[in-house]
Amino acid sequence: MRLTDIALWIFTAAFFIFMILPIAVVVVISFTSAGYASFPVPGWSFKWFARIFEYQPFIDSLWVSLQLAVVATVASCLLGIPAALHLSRARSGWATAITTFLLSPLSMPMIVIGFASLFFLSWLGFGISFAALCIVHTVICLPYVIRTVTAVYRSVPPAYEEAALILGASRLTTFREVTLPLIRPGIAAGCLFSFLTSFDNLPVSYFFGSAQTNTLPVVMLAYMEHQFDPSIAALSSLQLLLAVIALVVAERLYGIEKMTVAT
Amino acid sequence: MKLNRRTFLGTGAAATGLIGLNGLPLRAQDRTLNVTAYGGVWERAIRDCFVAPFEAKTGATATVSLGGPAQWLAQVEANPENPPLDVLIMSPDLAVIAAEGDLMDDFTVEKLPNLANIPQEFTDACLGKGTYFDYGVGGITYNKQVVSDAPKSFAAFVDRVASGEFIASVPSIQYGPTTVFFLWALNNALGGTVDNVDPFFEAMAKMKDNLVFWAGPNDFFNHLASGEADLGIYFDGRTWNHVDEGVDWISFINPEEGGAMTAVAIQKPKNASDLAWDYLNEVLAPENQSKFAEILNYGVTNTKVEYSEKLASRVTPLSEANLPPYAEIARVRNDWVDRWNREIGM
Repeated sequence: MRLTDIALWIFTAAFFIFMILPIAVVVVISFTSAGYASFPVPGWSFKWFARIFEYQPFIDSLWVSLQLAVVATVASCLLGIPAALHLSRARSGWATAITTFLLSPLSMPMIVIGFASLFFLSWLGFGISFAALCIVHTVICLPYVIRTVTAVYRSVPPAYEEAALILGASRLTTFREVTLPLIRPGIAAGCLFSFLTSFDNLPVSYFFGSAQTNTLPVVMLAYMEHQFDPSIAALSSLQLLLAVIALVVAERLYGIEKMTVAT
Repeated sequence: MKLNRRTFLGTGAAATGLIGLNGLPLRAQDRTLNVTAYGGVWERAIRDCFVAPFEAKTGATATVSLGGPAQWLAQVEANPENPPLDVLIMSPDLAVIAAEGDLMDDFTVEKLPNLANIPQEFTDACLGKGTYFDYGVGGITYNKQVVSDAPKSFAAFVDRVASGEFIASVPSIQYGPTTVFFLWALNNALGGTVDNVDPFFEAMAKMKDNLVFWAGPNDFFNHLASGEADLGIYFDGRTWNHVDEGVDWISFINPEEGGAMTAVAIQKPKNASDLAWDYLNEVLAPENQSKFAEILNYGVTNTKVEYSEKLASRVTPLSEANLPPYAEIARVRNDWVDRWNREIGM
């Protein structure tokens, strides 16, 4: 093995440890027997995982977060996929402007989107509601679907669809039999990003929180500010597990490699 | 069942259909009150001490929204004609802003009989549109294992940290209450005024080599637990909560000059349900406040409250704490923050 290979291997290992260690500490702390977060842990216990299920707001807000992430992801796909297909092939300046506009939530501070949306949606009569949360989360998830579907669709030669049309397929059949299978990795990547973006979002959800609409990150923040026990570490470990499961499912269904190509 | 794309997408679509859009705007209903609480132990205390007696006496129900004052005030500002919340828990500075914005109803003894036992200065501090119901004091919390003789005053704290005897953990400007319970309190103790904060910034300059900053209360505890700091500026109630959780190595001193009282205000938005008055009266009732104080280790404001022996030794008496001039501080706060950013930077 050459010296440069060894150096690269050491650098990669060090970088991996640098990235993983803080997360590993959180996971370890979630199993502590102590009543407060400390490292190294004095003993081992599952009691902080049990605490998650004893504290009803965690469970209620987890359910809200899951519902919200599903609805925002589906709505983002329904709006984002047609937009991405059209804008990918369009050549006009308007198309570029609209694409930039649809992607703009990525470049705006989330807290500004949240604050502005609160006043705008209240003015429209949505107030503090699950519907309002769904609308705002769709706005912040939409760019991920558009970005990933556009990236994949631009790599698909138009000749494939033209061939189907010339051979007599309708536009709907062409979409279903030709376009959709080709852009599926992009849709899957967009869905994954949308779901995780919505599920982890705090700054937007914060402004729409109520007894019925508080999401898990909002409740976690409220809990952390006034309680010092490691149940938040346990909850973070469960969230991590959920993200890993999502990635495993994505790998089984589509293959992570294809999805990363889409991004 | 075999997991394939078709079953996965089919299940997802079905789940979405079941979820539906269940969210109509949150509106005050006749017999339901929307009240607020901080998270964790606060939420339990609010439910046990205030919501339960309110529901028992009125037959109405109360839902509890978890979050923070900035969030709740923004929600009321966005919906002033039909506020989504009927009762707000507020920080003193935001309580003044909400009162000045004419967003809150006036508090009177006619509407709230228990207000008669709350010191008038706490209602005046909210411009008559709210009152304080709970308070803590910012002082010196220290690690008993490394600090055998803790400073008894802010002045001694500054001198001994500046000399390098201790490393101190102090709140950074990112933490909202810092300007009051640290900047104003230390400045006041060192002879400054709201319009002259030179004493504070001179003291910080002297201590700067021996300071670490905390951005949130949990950071402070981590600084002490890890040995990064020996002592620091923190709250009495939070210190005792740590002790009750098994942390036997910390203790708290209210400085001789008097720590700043960091109160929690309670307000009713205009156009909120009239049931809120019944709930607010329960919040101010001595028996409920007494129970609340026992859970949270913080002082309460009803003068009829009698603390248990254990709590009486912990709660800083009102007479030994300084009530900050929140309205005056609000006037100069931006200047203080600007100077902090230029001279301290954390």
